Amino acid sequence: MEPLLEVKNLTKTFEENRGGKGLFLPRKEWKKKGLTAVNQVSFSLYPGEILGIAGASGAGKSTVARAVTRLLDVTSGEIFFHGKEITRAEGKARDEVYQHMQMVFQSPEASFHPRHTLGYSIGESFRNRGYSRKEAQKEAGKLLRVCGLPESLAFRYPREVSGGQCQRAAIARALSREPELLVCDEATSALDVMAQKKIVDLLRKLRQEYKMACLFICHDLALVQSLCDRVLIMEDGKIAEEGRTEDVLQNPKSRAARALLEAVI
Amino acid sequence: MRTQKKRKLLCFAGLALLLLAVALLAEQLSPYDPNQQNYEMALQAPSMAHPFGTDRYGRDMLSRVLAGARISIFSALAVVLASSVLGTGVGILCGYAGKVLDTVLMRIADVCLAFPGLVFALAIAALLNGGTISAVIALTAVSWPKYARLSRGQTLAVRQEDYIAAARLSGDSTLQILVRHVLPGIGSQILVTAMLDVGTMMMELAALSFLGLGARPPAAEWGSMMSGGRSMLQTRPWVVLTPGIGIFVTVAVFNLLGDALRDYLE
Repeated sequence: MEPLLEVKNLTKTFEENRGGKGLFLPRKEWKKKGLTAVNQVSFSLYPGEILGIAGASGAGKSTVARAVTRLLDVTSGEIFFHGKEITRAEGKARDEVYQHMQMVFQSPEASFHPRHTLGYSIGESFRNRGYSRKEAQKEAGKLLRVCGLPESLAFRYPREVSGGQCQRAAIARALSREPELLVCDEATSALDVMAQKKIVDLLRKLRQEYKMACLFICHDLALVQSLCDRVLIMEDGKIAEEGRTEDVLQNPKSRAARALLEAVI
Repeated sequence: MRTQKKRKLLCFAGLALLLLAVALLAEQLSPYDPNQQNYEMALQAPSMAHPFGTDRYGRDMLSRVLAGARISIFSALAVVLASSVLGTGVGILCGYAGKVLDTVLMRIADVCLAFPGLVFALAIAALLNGGTISAVIALTAVSWPKYARLSRGQTLAVRQEDYIAAARLSGDSTLQILVRHVLPGIGSQILVTAMLDVGTMMMELAALSFLGLGARPPAAEWGSMMSGGRSMLQTRPWVVLTPGIGIFVTVAVFNLLGDALRDYLE
């Protein structure tokens, strides 16, 4: 089967910000190495699959998510979506990618504009496709219902709902473009266990009903175990271990995987 | 606390609207023609017939102060509107696009900021041969960089927010992101600055008129009225003080409105 997403030798280096001090350095030192957050990472994700990326803070998980969704320019490497290279997609090409790939962010409240209602934000992509304001609001209500929320939530502001509700509303917004791939960047980290369970159940349901693939970035191995088919363990920007979730969690080979398992309370 | 702030805001907004209404209805409210000369009545002290007295040409000062309100207030509002729209547009573009556009436009803004504001405005107004429109253009040319700097800084902070990334994922174009997401995020700060600027602009317009580069005679404008009567400050003080009071009251009302708006939006 052809992979939906293929990442080859992805590297992202953040240049060091020297500020004014850089001016007083010798020219050859101006471009000294910065921080390499992701180093030669390669993986594939297949249609309908849920792939987990786990690792400690600073391992490079979120950088991978932002690079894959083109919210961050990569330093080197290649990213293919449906076999088409999207590594440096800009403008219309990037928007074409976004028609099939969406992302849910770590902080649900920060991912919604504080001055817009949830319905307005969820309906945004409908309005961009020519729906009237009223129609977009109606569609937003339907999506909220799909995500297990009352339609009336569309009239609330992000600050007026709980973190769990807000995150499910963020998933509803992502669904508005009927994506084939949903990238969840620590989407459950800021939530309590009950809200986490609801999100995981929702992702399972979406996978069954919409055959949607998911790149699930998380540092909680229990959640990874309950949801993901395969898992990548990252450490210091590199993939330390990769395999079927049961295999990796029951028989960890890398130091990073063992450390993560030992850290489970 | 919030109710108190709202009450304060409504109070000063009401006063500002009253001033605008007076400026708009100046012709209807004036007891005499503001440009009608009557040498027999020249330099009359305030009386029942002429509550603000008359000037050296026998023109009624109350009528001239009311007529001057229209030019002075609306010119100041025009400067604030033009400079805030231009400056905010430039600042948002620079903050969002960055790179070469940011460098070029911000260096132009730096050049404008490098000159003393009023001196620069005087030079531009003189180049444009003076007059109210020239004064408005000159002050706009001097004032926009302040808004550009402010909105650029705010945009740089806002563009990193997740909701901007989410908007991009929803298919928003750059223009849609700027209008729907960036502008509402920074708008309140710009609005407060603009309100506080109305008073400053009125003073600077009055200064340009005082120096002969603003409204031309016989048009009634508070700055030029003060300039015309400055030699009589000790002998016929009402000729200078009445337009001065107009400037004082208007500047105070708009400054207090700006403060109240800032308190309310905080």
